[in-house]
Formats: sequence, structure tokens, C-alpha cells
Amino acid sequence: MASDRLLPRADRRVMLMATCLCDAFYADAARATVEVLEHLGCVVEFPEGQTCCGQPAFNGGDWPASRQVVRHTVKTFAGDLPVIIPSGSCAAMLTHGAPLEFENEPDLGEVRELGRRTWELADFIVNGLGVKTWPGRFDSRIAFHRSCHCRGSETGPAAFALLSSIAGATVVPFGEADQCCGFGGTFAVSFPHVSTAMGTLKLEHIRASSPDVLVSVDMSCLMHMGGLAEKAGQPIRTLHVAQILRDALRNGNLL
Amino acid sequence: MARQPIDQFVERIASEKRASVYLGTKTTHEKREKLLHDHYADPDALRRLAGGIKQHVVENLDTYLPRVEAKLKANGAQVHWAATAEEACATVHGIMTARGATKIVKAKTMVSEEIGLAEYLGSRGIESLETDLGEFIVQIDHDHPSHIVRPIIHKSRREIAKSFEREGLGDYNDDPGTITRRARAFLRKKFLQADVGITGANFVSAESGRLVIVTNEGNSRFSLAATKCHIALIGIEKVVPRDRDLGLFLNLLARSATAQQLTVYTEFISGPKSPAQPDGPEEMHVIFVDNQRTEVLASECREILRCIRCGACMNVCPVYRQASGHAYRSVYPGPVGAVLSPLLAGERFAEKADLPKASSLCGACNEVCPVDIPIPDLLLRLRDKGKREHAPLASAGTPSLGGWAVMASKPVLWKTALSAGKLMNLLPANWIPMAAAKAWTDTRTLPTWRGGEFRSWMKHRPAKGEGKGKS
Amino acid sequence: MSSSRDLILGRVRDALAALPKRAPLPEWDPAGARSTVAPSGADLWQAFSARLRAVNGTPLASVAELVALLESKGWRHGYCDPTLWPALKAAFPAGFTVETEFDRSRVDDYQFGITVADGAIAETGTLVLSDRGTASRLAALAPWVHVAAIRHAQIVPDLGSALTLLGDDPNVIWVTGPSKTADVEGILIEGVHGPGMQVALLLD
Repeated sequence: MASDRLLPRADRRVMLMATCLCDAFYADAARATVEVLEHLGCVVEFPEGQTCCGQPAFNGGDWPASRQVVRHTVKTFAGDLPVIIPSGSCAAMLTHGAPLEFENEPDLGEVRELGRRTWELADFIVNGLGVKTWPGRFDSRIAFHRSCHCRGSETGPAAFALLSSIAGATVVPFGEADQCCGFGGTFAVSFPHVSTAMGTLKLEHIRASSPDVLVSVDMSCLMHMGGLAEKAGQPIRTLHVAQILRDALRNGNLL
Repeated sequence: MARQPIDQFVERIASEKRASVYLGTKTTHEKREKLLHDHYADPDALRRLAGGIKQHVVENLDTYLPRVEAKLKANGAQVHWAATAEEACATVHGIMTARGATKIVKAKTMVSEEIGLAEYLGSRGIESLETDLGEFIVQIDHDHPSHIVRPIIHKSRREIAKSFEREGLGDYNDDPGTITRRARAFLRKKFLQADVGITGANFVSAESGRLVIVTNEGNSRFSLAATKCHIALIGIEKVVPRDRDLGLFLNLLARSATAQQLTVYTEFISGPKSPAQPDGPEEMHVIFVDNQRTEVLASECREILRCIRCGACMNVCPVYRQASGHAYRSVYPGPVGAVLSPLLAGERFAEKADLPKASSLCGACNEVCPVDIPIPDLLLRLRDKGKREHAPLASAGTPSLGGWAVMASKPVLWKTALSAGKLMNLLPANWIPMAAAKAWTDTRTLPTWRGGEFRSWMKHRPAKGEGKGKS
Repeated sequence: MSSSRDLILGRVRDALAALPKRAPLPEWDPAGARSTVAPSGADLWQAFSARLRAVNGTPLASVAELVALLESKGWRHGYCDPTLWPALKAAFPAGFTVETEFDRSRVDDYQFGITVADGAIAETGTLVLSDRGTASRLAALAPWVHVAAIRHAQIVPDLGSALTLLGDDPNVIWVTGPSKTADVEGILIEGVHGPGMQVALLLD
């Protein structure tokens, strides 16, 4: 239950897993994550040996390759601090995917242990730190894409609650919001026609609600939808939830 | 890099077909959602309960199957066991031959498609006529169903009207009411002339030995009113523990499949007709079909045997909606088919090893499954199996990730690659997935490369209390 | 073939042998599967009628209403269960031909078939037919109009209760409205292989 997961106020040291996508492309989303966590009183450690959560190979079916990377990640994030990740899908990988592929492995226990202290960012803010509303200001019509790997987790409601609470922000509904955007990891390149068709359909629904910005907890979805939109000559502004939260603080002179 | 067949299918599918499938699936899915939430405070709790009951059955089939058999026999049914598709067909043929019978009317049963019954019997001079309207149309078109509940979800009324005209069922008329009435008149005669009625079963109760068959059209009822012999083809996994459990499954099945509270007809059949009844079968045969189900039971994907064939998963699946059922080249398409079809292929798993890949793992299927099957997990297991067995269809279109794994487990390599900017200049050519890059950039731009920027910022920012990068 | 039986059951046992433990059978309260449209009041005929109408069925509270309906459509040739006919006969005027034996060689002569139902389920608007209670399976199925005769006392509130009443009849059928299909472009058409009109006739 959400309330069972509340961290004691005294201890706010956390580790940040920035994700490989932010490492390579979305530096500002990772920066915003750090700024937001520090604003909430967290002390953020960034283990520099980190690389990737192992999901691309896991989804692609190459479990030995994935396990190799997960083992490195387990070592890199050793200890007992909460691990905060600005990605629903990477968090799901560590909490659910990795235990699945390590079912018959001798180090299953260590993998599970890491998963137990892993949090997606919005979930951490709302359910780990107990912060239900967000200060500052962000004047925008926001289309919030609840990415698929958040299914069954607290992330979707948490992100929605935070975004909706920001002064000036309107989270606009759009059609078929539960349908996947079509990224799916290696699926995006193994099934490019299906992936593109799914993303194009999603963009149609989103555009119909006239948002100013498309937001998600997963840069992978935004990379796919943003990339489709730009290639089609109709670019759409995309931001990670962390960036909205950070910008709201800046706009309110709180950062 | 070879391409994935289902992706190629989607590239080629006629837009009219895709539109039919999309509209049909989306409409049913939305009605299902509304109905379940209107009728129940917590439909997800019911799905999980139903999943728990089915998982219990699957894991205790060694107890339940003999129990069901004993009950059926006590009720007056004859019980047969078919280890293979061939054996199931031969058993049906044997019953027909023993009766000197040549005409079958068939209600909808996916198992009969699975075992190739119509072809087997057809080549032996036995007519096996589909009586479900959708399956009848599939049969006269020599087509295949594209959905397990709505077999002609991909067809337009115009196509059907042309087929009816071609078959001598009347002049071209694409009014759905007319089409239906013509089928009614034609098939009615066939029911009354047939020797044997073949059905499947949605459930078999281990408590009472009753088969439960659900339909809307009345074709199963007509088969069992007009003919003198009933043959039921049933997969060994269709057992439910008690009659009372049917209350849960029947409430979930029709709502999940067709967004109805109940199908029009729910038949509880425990044996041949009563002595005073003038109509109906004097003889009842139940054929329990294995056809690789025991292999599935032994595998790490046995949860798929919970499936009650409602089709809700394919109605919500974004990939199915783009592709339609024919893309899966199997009797069972969509999410359930992506798990079941490769496994039912047994030693020929490699021929279907691409099916589990045709998914973005979005999880919508599990969310609608009335027996809570963790389909994405099962798809992932089958991807692992496809790779381990070096199935070419599993790896088609998938960049090799061995090089990535090396980089991602050696931070020095990783950080160097990030900072160097252009990955391609640095890495061995076979580490760079060129085909994958092209598959991306055909329809999507890539974001600006910012490798190393965040780490640099983290390392060099002014100390904020204790919050600085730790190396 | 006993050898196939042994083969299959042997494979099942082997497949399950590796499981450290077997999933238990969950216990559950039938009330948990009761929908929000299950009846709350005592008038089960009213509740049943409302649900039957929701699936386009036709609840009728008297034989006179039935006769009026049949006459309005010009349906004057039908079948009635011989045990029921004496009670209904008086309400049928001249001009009606009602046979009490169903001749399957003239199946399309019968515009209506009146048979005896065993019960009804209010939650879903369902009629319960049994094999022993139905004088002719075809008579309850083939004519365009099927009339199932029931009594107040036979109506049960929900699916859970109906399941306890299956008994040992070899062929119990729950009938919920007229036969239908949506196979052609998802368009609902009533009257496929079974009746296009499903009547529930209250006898008492």
C-alpha cells in the first residue's frame, strides 16, 4: 500500500539512476530530477559506474546479455539506499523484469533486494516522501502520457496528481489514453511499421486535445512520439515530468 | 537484417481490412469496460479470483481429469482421449464410420480448427458444415477466422454478399438482415439432414460432469435438437472445479467476450437426451484433446492454459488492431495466440517464434484478461526460448545486443562512448546496429546526442550541502 | 483408447511433478459475483421482466396478451406443449391452428412454439429450460417465436441460485432473449438459427 512505503523524514539520502536515455540524449531531464529531489531535501548520490538497467536485451529476448548488465547494475547500486529513477519502465525492469530473468540464477536474492528499494520518481515523491501537491507555476495545457510500464504501479496516479496540482497547469484528457504509443524497446525497430502506426495514431488523439506539451515519466515514449512528430513535419514539444516540476519551481522563484 | 513477418503484414494490409478490425475490436473493448464497471464495484478482484481458480485447476489436472471422466461416464457419455490432432480427427472419423454417418453440423469450436478436422473429414467423404454464421462465411470463402470470437471481423458486408451470390444463396444483397435470414434458411435444412452434431465446450464441471456451451445464434442448440449423435471436442484444460464456480466464469465470459451480461444460450449438457425427449442425441461422445497441451503444462508458460477464449486480449491489443488475426498465421491470434500458438506448434516452435516478439509488452492484455494471465511475462519467456534455440524468426529484425552488453557492463567503455559523441566512429562495425538505426530514422528523427553532459554537470556543479557526484 | 488415456494422464502427472506445491482452490462467496443489476426487492417477476426487456425479450403477464400479440403479427399457426394446452386453449380464438405434436418435417409451418420452462433468473432475464420439461427441443427453438411458460415461484434472483438448481437433467438451457448475431460488421441482427422473438409467459 502507498502509505506503507513512506520514508522516515530523517533519512533522505538516495541514489540516482539517470537511465541510459538521459545519459545519451536527455541530460536536462536528469538534471531536473536532481534539482527536484534536492528541493525536497534529498541528498542525491550518483554512482558514476552506472550504465543501463538491462531492459533492452531483456525485452529483446537476449537474457544472458541482459543479466550481464543487471549484475553490473546491482554492484553499482550496492547498499541500502533507495534508488530513484526518472523512468517507469526502468523501474519496472528492476522491480519485475530482472527478478523474472534471474528466476533460476543463484544471485536472484541480490537482484530482488535492489528491486525492493527502487522507485520511479513521481511515485517516490508522492508515496515515498508524502508530497501530494506541487508548488510554483506552469502555465500550459499538458497531455500526460501514462506509459505502459506504469501499469499496476502507483506512478500514473502520482504523476497525474502532481501535474494537476500545479498552478496554471491543465492536464487535458485525450482519446484512447490507455493504448500504447508503440515504442516497446527493440520493438520500435523490429516492427517499425506497427510501431509507427501505433505512434501516429496516438499523436492524432493527443493533438485533438490541443496540448502545449506532451509529458511522460518515460523519455523512451517521448523520444518515439517526438521523433515521429518531427519527421512528419509537425513537431510537438515534449518534456519529462521532472522538467515540469523543476520549471514550476523556477517560475515560482522557489529554485 | 531479415524483417519480421508480422511487420511486413502490417505494411501490406488493405486499409479497409485494418479499419474493420480496428473498429470492431475497439467498440467491443469499450463496451466491455463500461459493462464490467457498471455491473461490478471491483471487476479486477473477480478477474484475479477467476485466475486463481483456473491456476488451481491447471496445477491439479492430474486429479481433475480422471474425476471429470468418471462423472461423464456416469452421466451416459462415452469418453475418448486424443493425444494428437491426428488422433482426435481419427476418433471423430471412427464414430462417423461406426454410425454409417456422412454429414456433420458443427458449432464453433477452435479445437476443431486446431486439429484440422474439416480437411481430414473432407478428404474422407464426410461433410462438416460450419453453422456459426461467421464460421460458415469463412468456410464458403475458404478463408481463415481472424478472431476467436468474431471470425469475420475483417470482412465487409459487400464481400459477404458476393460470396453468398457465388454460392447460390440468392442475388447480391449486402443487407446484414437479409444475409442472416438466408443463412438461417439454408442451414436449417442442413441441421435437419445431418447425422451428427459437433460442438466444443467452454467449461466442463468436475463436480457434475456437465459441459457448458455458450452461443448467441442457437446453432449449438439446433445441432443438439436435430441430430442423433453429439460429439464434443474439448481441450484438457477446460475443467472447472465445481458448478458454483461457473457463476464466476459465466459472469466474466460474456462480458469479456461480447460485452453481454450473458450470451443468449448457455447450455449445461451432462449426457444424451432423456428417454421421453423426441429430439436430440441418443449418443454422446466427449473427446479430450491434448495436442501439445501437456507440453505447455510442463513449460514455464502453463498459466496460458487458464485461457477461457474470450478474445478480450485481442480486442484491446494495439498490435492486433493494426495487424488483424491473419497476421499471426495461427488458429489462435493476438496476445493469447502469441503465447499459445508457438507452444502448440511443439517441435515446430521455430516456425512461430516471431509471434512472441510482435508485442510492445504494453500489458493491456493482462489488464482485461478475465483469468488474469500474465501474458507479457509469458511472451518474455518465449523470447528467451526463441533466442536460446536460435530460431531465426525470433531474431529477425532485432539488433544483436552482445556489444551493447559489453559496453554496459564496463563503465569506462560506456563513459568513453558517451563523451565521444558519435558512437559509430568508435565502435566495431558489428556493434553498431545499422539496420536498426535505419528502421528508426525512416519515420522518426533522433534527438540531439548529449552524451556526457549530465555527468559533467553532476560532477562539476558547486557543492550543494552533501549533494555532489560520487565517483 | 486406453493407451492414449494413459499416455495423456501420464504426461500430465509428469508435467506437474516438478511443482514444489500446487495452487490451492480459492474459496469465494457467490454473493461476490452478484452484479449491481441483481434484484433487491421481492417482486422477482418485475425484476425479471426489466432484465428480459433489456435484452429485447418479451415478458407477458397473461395468455390474453400473448394471443393479442400473435394476432397483431398474423402468426396463427404454432405448437403448444400438450400438458399446457388445456389451460391455454380457451384464450385462443378460432383462426388459430395450434398443434400439440411437433412435426419436424414441417418445421417452418410453426410460427410460434409454446413450451414449459423450469424456471427463470431475475438478474439476467433468463428462462431456464430442461430436457425433461421440454416436450420437444425443436419446438422450443425452431419457430420464430418461442413462448416459455413460467410461474412466479420458479423465478430465482441470480445466477448463483440458478446454478444450485441444475439437478440431474441432461440438457438444461439458459435462454436470455432472442437469438442473435453481430458477425456482419458488428451489426446486431436478431433471429439467427433460433427464435427472433423470445416471450416469457407468466401463468400465475
